[in-house]
Amino acid sequence: MHEQKRDYKIFSVRKSNSSEEEQTEINLANLANGQQARLIKINTKDQKLRQRFLDMGLTPGVLVTVKNIAPLGSPITLILRDYQLSVRKHDLTDLIVEVIK
Amino acid sequence: MIALIGNQNSGKTTLFNLLTGSHQKTGNWPGVTLERKIGKIKKNNLEIIDLPGIYSLSSYSEEEMVSRDYLLNESPDLLINIIDTTQLERSLYLTMQLIELNVPLIVCLNMKDLAKRKGLNLNTTKLQEILNVPVVEISALKKTGINELIELINTYEPKPYPQLSYYSKDVEKVINEIESLIDHPGKRFIAVKTLEQDEQIAKYETTEIIQIRQKFLENSDLTIDEEIAHARYEFIESIKPDLVSYDEEFNKPSISEKIDKVLLNRFLAIPIFILIMVGIYYLAAGVVGTYTVDVIEGLFESLTGWMEGWLESVGASPWAISLVNNGVIGGVGAVIGFIPQLLILFLLISLLEASGYMSRIAFTLDAVFRKVGLSGKSIIPFILGIGCSVPAIMATKTIDDKQEKEMTIMLAPFIPCNAKLPIIALFAGYFFPNNRGLITVAFYFMAIVVIGIIAFMLKKLAFKKSSTGYISELPSYKLPSPRYVFFDVGGKIWSFTKRAGTIILLSSIAIWFLASFTWSFVYTTNPSTSILRTIGDVLSPIFYPMLGTRNWGASISAIQGLVAKENVVSTMGVLAGLTEEAVEALGSNPTKEQLIALFGSESTSLFSTFTGLSAFSFMTFNLFSAPCFGAIGAMRDAFGSTKKMWLAVLLQTGFAWVLASLIFGVGTLIGVIF
Repeated sequence: MHEQKRDYKIFSVRKSNSSEEEQTEINLANLANGQQARLIKINTKDQKLRQRFLDMGLTPGVLVTVKNIAPLGSPITLILRDYQLSVRKHDLTDLIVEVIK
Repeated sequence: MIALIGNQNSGKTTLFNLLTGSHQKTGNWPGVTLERKIGKIKKNNLEIIDLPGIYSLSSYSEEEMVSRDYLLNESPDLLINIIDTTQLERSLYLTMQLIELNVPLIVCLNMKDLAKRKGLNLNTTKLQEILNVPVVEISALKKTGINELIELINTYEPKPYPQLSYYSKDVEKVINEIESLIDHPGKRFIAVKTLEQDEQIAKYETTEIIQIRQKFLENSDLTIDEEIAHARYEFIESIKPDLVSYDEEFNKPSISEKIDKVLLNRFLAIPIFILIMVGIYYLAAGVVGTYTVDVIEGLFESLTGWMEGWLESVGASPWAISLVNNGVIGGVGAVIGFIPQLLILFLLISLLEASGYMSRIAFTLDAVFRKVGLSGKSIIPFILGIGCSVPAIMATKTIDDKQEKEMTIMLAPFIPCNAKLPIIALFAGYFFPNNRGLITVAFYFMAIVVIGIIAFMLKKLAFKKSSTGYISELPSYKLPSPRYVFFDVGGKIWSFTKRAGTIILLSSIAIWFLASFTWSFVYTTNPSTSILRTIGDVLSPIFYPMLGTRNWGASISAIQGLVAKENVVSTMGVLAGLTEEAVEALGSNPTKEQLIALFGSESTSLFSTFTGLSAFSFMTFNLFSAPCFGAIGAMRDAFGSTKKMWLAVLLQTGFAWVLASLIFGVGTLIGVIF
């Protein structure tokens, strides 16, 4: 029940209001291997998916590092809260983050 | 009743086995069929239940709902929450919810030694102080701390513990308000879930509660589910500095990460996977497997000879000798012969699972399976299916998405299992003696293509809704516990053997009876005058489109395949009037000469009505039609619905019939044209 049609290649780039530094908000699927980011919000209307993200520790403010990308580009393994979580690329587009490094 | 709860991979099952020994029984949950294990703690004889491994008490998966319903409705006397110390934050998230549930609780810190080796030191006393519940350190693998845990259970006295307060002021206020309207020990938890508008909790909601919630949500700009999860995690983060200290070791890459650098490398992952699969197949079904099967077959051969001699010496009638040798030893022996192969296969697969590599396979291949509406985790049932469809179907329970799971249950039996190999070996050996290997490979390849096509069709037809995703933990590599592997393999082999001793034995005797007696119940050695002959004649029109002739023998063996796929071959053998030694001597790699010697040349034998083409279509039907009764039973359990089971069986058989008839029809047409 993902309502917006999503495109992996185009993503909106906008200024973050909260931060003093120049930072951009993108979705997590756009991060390269080894990049670290801070989660800003979960963008899905799918209640179950939202709950699962939250339960697995993907709450706003959490630090996430991209660890491994599967041979075909999906799923992607993230490191957060001292453990590894693998998520499909498609679902990662729901996670809006600001890149830290 | 004591209940054991914890995340997946937290060592819960290891602890359960340790506490109960091997004395455990399995049963089904009411309503949903999920395996639940109940046992008795050896040292104090208290009953303990092993709840499914979960990360939260939401309603994301069946496991979560089942555990939550159990905790809310059956209020256990004591809950043991096992925690993987290396993954503290995520583990404590579940603990927070258990505390909200207000159940008598003991927290068990597992793998503390492992955490220490990773450079993470945890202050147990401090954790106990903060949570206000007893905390005990154990190592399920090294069996330390178990006596302390049991001592704690024995002396445990349930007393109310203060609830922690970590929600924001507004949220806390509305929770308290709702709480006061609920009459249940777990009212705080229920109040939180009500606020999240969890559908499964609606039965506790009164109009007043709904009004309070509506008012709160209208006046608040919070995303409430986010707020609640965030508050819990924020609390955990806030106590962490007091609980944990880190060594230098902590920032170095772990062994697990180093292994993943190779095994999950973008370019190496798939070649390594293929290499491992080829290795497993080589060991289980190749040289080693064939050798072990030969040894067992030798044993059964001497048993049959010995039995026959003994029965003759005591003056047993011919039909009695036939019953023992063909009906009993023949039927069961054919199945027992597979045990060494299955032992190797189950052992290797158990090692893959326990080490953590199986999760990596799912990770590597998820994108491929997604294309046809399946999950990366479907690969596990498909690989297991090479051995036997029963454990394969059982393994589908790790798939989160219901639709992906049900499709995998239905498709897993299409993988030619070990019991189907003799069918391929028999027909390929007879009709395609020079290309036998090629035919065998062709069938595996066809199975994969068929699975892909059907999955894609179902995805389109069954209106694929949004997937609940593939959001799963990638566990660190672990050295498999020999104890776990032993019990896992032992259990699977035992259930397989039990099947051989019960359903296969009975059906084998039944077919022997039908094939050995005429309608006037006179013993006969000529199957063409038997009761079975008539049944075969009646059913033969069904098989006409794929055989081009009315072959009663083929019909009967296909029906017998429902009991156990290897029966297709043994029935053909029995019908051809073969002795048991003869069928066993065939092994899995019979030569054309052997087969002609046994079954007669093409013009005189049972095969006389088969052509190369009809043999191929008949094999196709047997490989893809409904699996054996054992697997059908497993399908029922996995679906949790008899209706869905019948639907799947009908779909499988219908598809096999269409495919086999198509192959025969198109093949005949090509034959006519050229």
